[in-house]
Amino acid sequence: MFQSSRPLTIAEKLVRLNWPVLVLVACLAAIGTATLYSVAGGSFEPWAQRHAQRCLAGLLLLTACALVPARLWRAAAVPVYLMALVLLAAVPFAGVEAMGAKRWLAVAGLQIQPSEFMKVGLVLMLASVYAALPPGEVSKPRWVGLVLALIAVPVMLTLKQPDLGTALLFLGLGLGIMFLAGVALGYFAGGILVTLAALPLAASRLHDYQRRRIETFLDPAADPLGSGYHITQAKIALGAGGWAGQGYLNGSQNRLDFVPEKMTDFIFVVIGEEWGFLGASTVLALFAALIVCLFASALRARGDTFGRLVIGGGALSLSIYVMINVAMVTGLIPVVGVPLPLISYGGTALMTLMVALGIAMSVRIHDGAPPRI
Amino acid sequence: MRKPWLPRPSNSVRPDPGRFTRRGLLLGLGHAAVFGGLTARLYQLQVLDGAETAVLADDNRIRQFPLPPLRGRILGASGKVLADNRQSFRVILKPERGLDLWEVRALLRRLAPLLDLTEDQQERIFQKARRQSPMLALPLTEEATFEQAAALEVRRPELPGVITQAIPSRVYASTTGTDAWAMAHIIGYVGAVDRRALDDEPVLRLPETRVGKAGVEAGMELELRGIAGQSQIEVDARGREVRKLKERAPLNGRDIRLTVDEALQAGILARLARDGRPGAAVVLEVETGAVRALASTPSFDPAALTGAGSQAAWRRLNANQDHPLLNRAIAGQYPPGSTFKMVTALAGLEAGAITPKEKIECWGDVTYGGHVFHCWNRRGHIASDLHRALRESCDCYFYETARRTGMEAIAATAKSLGLGETYQAGIAGQKPGLIPTPAWKRSRGTAGWVQGETVMAGIGQGYVLATPFQLALMTARIASGRAIVPTFVQPQDGDRYPQFEALSLASAGLEAVRKGMIAVVNEPGGTGHAADPDDGHTVVAGKTGTSQVSRASARRDPSVVLKNEQRDHALFVGYFPAFKPRYAIAVVLEHAGGGGAQAAPVARDIIKLLGDHDSTTPLKAVPDPGRTPDIARAG
Repeated sequence: MFQSSRPLTIAEKLVRLNWPVLVLVACLAAIGTATLYSVAGGSFEPWAQRHAQRCLAGLLLLTACALVPARLWRAAAVPVYLMALVLLAAVPFAGVEAMGAKRWLAVAGLQIQPSEFMKVGLVLMLASVYAALPPGEVSKPRWVGLVLALIAVPVMLTLKQPDLGTALLFLGLGLGIMFLAGVALGYFAGGILVTLAALPLAASRLHDYQRRRIETFLDPAADPLGSGYHITQAKIALGAGGWAGQGYLNGSQNRLDFVPEKMTDFIFVVIGEEWGFLGASTVLALFAALIVCLFASALRARGDTFGRLVIGGGALSLSIYVMINVAMVTGLIPVVGVPLPLISYGGTALMTLMVALGIAMSVRIHDGAPPRI
Repeated sequence: MRKPWLPRPSNSVRPDPGRFTRRGLLLGLGHAAVFGGLTARLYQLQVLDGAETAVLADDNRIRQFPLPPLRGRILGASGKVLADNRQSFRVILKPERGLDLWEVRALLRRLAPLLDLTEDQQERIFQKARRQSPMLALPLTEEATFEQAAALEVRRPELPGVITQAIPSRVYASTTGTDAWAMAHIIGYVGAVDRRALDDEPVLRLPETRVGKAGVEAGMELELRGIAGQSQIEVDARGREVRKLKERAPLNGRDIRLTVDEALQAGILARLARDGRPGAAVVLEVETGAVRALASTPSFDPAALTGAGSQAAWRRLNANQDHPLLNRAIAGQYPPGSTFKMVTALAGLEAGAITPKEKIECWGDVTYGGHVFHCWNRRGHIASDLHRALRESCDCYFYETARRTGMEAIAATAKSLGLGETYQAGIAGQKPGLIPTPAWKRSRGTAGWVQGETVMAGIGQGYVLATPFQLALMTARIASGRAIVPTFVQPQDGDRYPQFEALSLASAGLEAVRKGMIAVVNEPGGTGHAADPDDGHTVVAGKTGTSQVSRASARRDPSVVLKNEQRDHALFVGYFPAFKPRYAIAVVLEHAGGGGAQAAPVARDIIKLLGDHDSTTPLKAVPDPGRTPDIARAG
């Protein structure tokens, strides 16, 4: 592996930052802030201002993470993963219960969510495992089994909380990295068959609220004022937006509180109502552009498996959230409680994403390629 | 030594950039497919289905409330307002956390003196509270006065959940004077909407809406009701009003001006009531069909049917043996007796069964098919032509005429004279009476029509039934020769009363019958002399009727003491002035006895009232109570 003769200076590192990604992240964060301003009825309180502050802090965190040398991140893979695993395992015993789920740990007055650490830990861990494997070994059952176990443990622990959305993210993230690492396609085909066979069993083990969400998804009209309310109202608000939207600050369904969870999981609906199909598809396009930038940067990182997989993992953790969230609010999949990255109000997930993107940039900065001017 | 289950260090490994690139592109393609699918889904929801869901969005945020129209007023012929709207107050109990029965008890005790609630009413309200859902508002009264509502508002802090709302209520004329009583049957009353009567009109679903239940209130319901307006209010997800979007004002109901003169009506009702017998009298204007008076005794006080104590008033009225709520003039169906003889005569003349000159013998009874039919005059009338038969009301003459004419022809003439039907006259509750035919009897599935039934129908007995209203109409049609249609409602501004077509009866026959009717009141031997006002200038044409309620044999046996329900109804129909008919009159007195002796004098007093009324409107006085009616010579 090619190494530069001297460490890069801070200035050189800043120049080598993936600026298109930063700009896109800033754009989406700004859209999120503007939408939260509208959600609050044209007020920076209580969400827009804090969202903007967090995004700024997040961008700084991203930059800071990008400046950390990639080898340190690689060295941190196992410790971060193990620490996240221990914390996740501790949640059932020491967790704080909220809304029927235990997802948080209270440590020294701070509430932390171990699953957020695991998002970073899982990406780093899997990337370093595959970086250490010769390409010929990747599809060996032994290694496939090991990686599956590394994925399955956090998935199981998260399902227990219960937090279906995050569990799905871990699963998607893990499988996506395995796919990128070149695990034989036969495993994926087999996995799909096994999953289909196991679906009835899984359905019987779902929590009541999860089962209700799925039933609601299948027939939202059956209980329009109960659990079908969210998805029905979301569709109505999107439809009310039409082609060009009702105008910023003018979404009637948003303004009159018909849109549920509109500052968090359903914020995309508010964008759809106020900006119409044009606005909503523009936001989707910005996300797509961000993902394309990240993948492109991964493809350019030739010869560095760890780097490519970390960047790919960062892109996946973003794209999986976007796809699940948008599919959910448009009624394509059941409501699973996943925020829209960078736009939904909420601090922890935002910071985790910034860290993941920062690490992804770090491996690009430190992959030894000559500085681009 | 390297452990085999741990990966080897990566610097000894040659990565395979080609495979990563392929996998990356594959994943990229997958992403492109998903993002494309999501965009397509957005396009479907927002652009393709947008119009449809936009409607749902408006349903979400827009609530529509009907704005009730104000009910039209009802005015007398003089222009006096007889039925009006007044603001009254509804008091409901709607605690925020639902009804607690103990609290209801306590509240009712405190509200009782404020709202004048009796023990009985309190108990009824409490029982209602027990039956209904605790989350519903509990209605306490709809008839609170302004003072009572104000008293409640003052005590608001001590009366949690007690809400007063202004609602319109109906008020009828002066509740103390005679007008309200006199007009009660004609105007009718309003009541809560019958659940079965709910139609698409949203205002009917408002709890304070009242609809006509009887009389003109019911007969003119659609015109009086008006058309509801609509208010659109934007609400948020919790149903709170955000702003008013638009409002369409209600179209208030039309004021109805009656043809009935309330002063004349009051005078006639007072005259009827003087005898203390249930009965009815109708005055029609011959030319227009306008009902000038339509009295039914006993009457009732419409004010008692609303407001405090109305429940008790309803019970009293319904329990009264004389049925004061029954408007006998339009809903009392009586055998018309001899007043039907003009119908038989006209049918016979029209069919050629008799001529005005032909004489028919009468020896006190006549036998058809083994059955004996008696004349009211047991000595008989020897032989009568049409003129004398009408004047002296010879039963045998009309038995024979009916037998020759046949029931179908008689029924056809009866119908053409307005019997057996109800009219779009602006009043609800008309009964059709009954003009029997063989086909009608067959349809009831009983034994076939026999000749004796035609013979009995010929003198207005048997199955034949008519209301006083129909008898007045029949008389008006005979007097004018035109197919008069009666009405209680004056034409709207600019409209006139309709022109009525001539009846299809030969005018010679009508003229012969009219002459007979003049003879009834004016010639020696006539049965209706008592109807003659004897003022030297008014010539009245008429016909008496004494219709049997019980069987003839019981009536003829002097040892049988007749109970009141078995005594004859007394009837009189007539019109005047005889040569230029202006008014047609019908009087029916239940179980009063002979028509000539009992009904004709009442008709005479009504004729006098009409004369006074026409010369000096408004009416000055009711008839002289000291005057005793003349005794007629025949029934």
